[in-house]
Amino acid sequence: MRSLWRSMPLRLALVLVVIFGTVSLLSLGASFAVTRAAFEQSIRDDLAQDLAGFRAAPSARAVAVLVQAESDDTDPRRLVLSYVTPGGQIYGNGALARDGEGFHVISLEQGSAALEGDYLALSERLFGGRLTIARSRAEIEALGPVFFNILWISLLPTVLIALSGGLILARRSQRHVEVIRAALERFTGGDLGARVVTGQRWSDDLAGIGVAVNAMAGAQERSVTALRQVSSDIAHDLKTPVQRVSLQLEALAEAVPKGAAADLVAQTRAEVAGISEVFTALLQLAQVENGSLRAQFAPVDLASLCRTMVELYEPAAAERAQVLGFEGDDKVAVQGDRNLLGQLLANLLENAMRHAGAGAVITVALARGAGGVILSVTDNGPGIPEAERGRVTQRLYRLDRSRNTPGHGLGLSLVEGVVALHAARLSLEDAQPGLRVRIVFAPSGGAPRDGA
Amino acid sequence: MKLLVIEDDITTGTYIARGLREQGHVVDLVTDGRAGLVAATAGTYDVLVVDRMVPQVDGLTLVRTLRGAGNATPVLFLTAMGAVDDRIAGLNAGADDYLVKPFAFGELSARVTALGRRPQAVEQETVLTAGDLSLDLMTRRVTRAGREIDLLPREYTLLEFLLRRKGRVQTRTMLLEGVWDLSFDPMTNVVETHVSRLRAKVDKPFDTELIRTVRGAGYRIEG
Repeated sequence: MRSLWRSMPLRLALVLVVIFGTVSLLSLGASFAVTRAAFEQSIRDDLAQDLAGFRAAPSARAVAVLVQAESDDTDPRRLVLSYVTPGGQIYGNGALARDGEGFHVISLEQGSAALEGDYLALSERLFGGRLTIARSRAEIEALGPVFFNILWISLLPTVLIALSGGLILARRSQRHVEVIRAALERFTGGDLGARVVTGQRWSDDLAGIGVAVNAMAGAQERSVTALRQVSSDIAHDLKTPVQRVSLQLEALAEAVPKGAAADLVAQTRAEVAGISEVFTALLQLAQVENGSLRAQFAPVDLASLCRTMVELYEPAAAERAQVLGFEGDDKVAVQGDRNLLGQLLANLLENAMRHAGAGAVITVALARGAGGVILSVTDNGPGIPEAERGRVTQRLYRLDRSRNTPGHGLGLSLVEGVVALHAARLSLEDAQPGLRVRIVFAPSGGAPRDGA
Repeated sequence: MKLLVIEDDITTGTYIARGLREQGHVVDLVTDGRAGLVAATAGTYDVLVVDRMVPQVDGLTLVRTLRGAGNATPVLFLTAMGAVDDRIAGLNAGADDYLVKPFAFGELSARVTALGRRPQAVEQETVLTAGDLSLDLMTRRVTRAGREIDLLPREYTLLEFLLRRKGRVQTRTMLLEGVWDLSFDPMTNVVETHVSRLRAKVDKPFDTELIRTVRGAGYRIEG
């Protein structure tokens, strides 16, 4: 919800509401002022007209009679008429009094009580006396509440409509932005096929961003594919000459007599075998990273595969006085490729056997956890220094101390590739002492992506 | 056996053909897919060795065409491409076995031999023998020279696999596929350690060695 308040359409709606409100307030204020002035003017005109009417009277006496006659049926709260004769006698329904605070209109009927409200008064000397006519400003005062009502009756729907419209737009655009964000996240996570799927109801600008993101992703995917294609083409093209050399060396090995020459041939064959291993590993890595193998995924009994691999490697471990064991449940299935998972286990076991040293204890463990199926390979060897743990999965990276042990530095890269292909998570941990490689498969067992 | 090798790389093709001839096979070599398809349809071969990437008609199409025409000659695919999905594509197209370049000649020869014998694989016997060694498939008892030999389950499977293919070389990868059902090649020689354990029980206490190592290729049980 907080993020919704921060969203662009809602902010725009809020800004619009504020601007609209201010403008309405100003224009209503102006019309109020104009209307009030007009009302006042009309009252003044009325007063002037009233005075003119009395001025037509022939004498002070006649004025007094007229004033008295008129004021008898006039409400002093609306109109006050007052004539003070030259003799000091007061006629009318009210009088004007003055004290420290200013003028007051006093009702004559109710004694000397001052009348509430504002009046507009005109006063004139007439036949030696003073004629005062005051009209109440109550009508003008009533304008205030009227304008106030107009203000909120016109503003409230606008504010409500603008806010709810903004909220709806914000939610919709938030959903669409979320689609774009999710696609970008998948793409960054290595799923090069991730695209933004726009809908017909998308706003043009977001749809435009979606199209641009897709174009970028497409270009990126093409260049990555091209790059991978180049490296696998190179490995592929070099395999043919390597194949020739290896067959020729085989023939040579048959031809040369035992001795120095034969040893050299044997050494060279071993080198060539090493080269072809690297090629094979690079090609396999390219294939795993390409992701197309997901199409062939099937349920794999990981427990039985672990047992097979442990059993396969057990005699080799025993030759190094290492103890290899499996702990875990029966029948733990994940969705995947059995051969690649077997290769993953083979690489992890070979790494552990190679680096943990003679007499080490190596354990393959399989458990079902809340986060999914957890596969781990733990040894009690020297482990990997924390600073280097992040780098051992890089291609051809080798720890300084293992430079002279056999291997080509692609084993863990392949492990990482296979883990990524299975949408699992790989972590290298300190087993105190030793190394624990932990792989967590998502609970569904399947890759969390939809069809692309 | 009569073999057809379809391989566009002359050097590799010549070496393969020569090696197979030295083993007593009759070998025809062609260097493109169209010639290969013509030869395979016309001639009667026991096994076809087909490179996946030959010019004119590629290996996959060639095998599919043959299978479509009802030709069931066993096919061994050679490929320079990567492992898993390529392998599956090859097998789906109708190939019987698959070899990734670069391979050793011994591996190729062992697989060609295995393919050539494949149709005869239906065996009714319940006791497999080699020399004075016998393995009873019903009771799962293994005896040699009248003495019972106690084997672990995997050792028993390994021995049975070799005995069923008596006299024929089985390579490391063939054993991994047949005994462990793993079609990838671990880099270290784990199969060797299992064979030596089996030997320690089956051969060591006796005079003659039944399980032979074929240098550069694999293992073979004699008898």
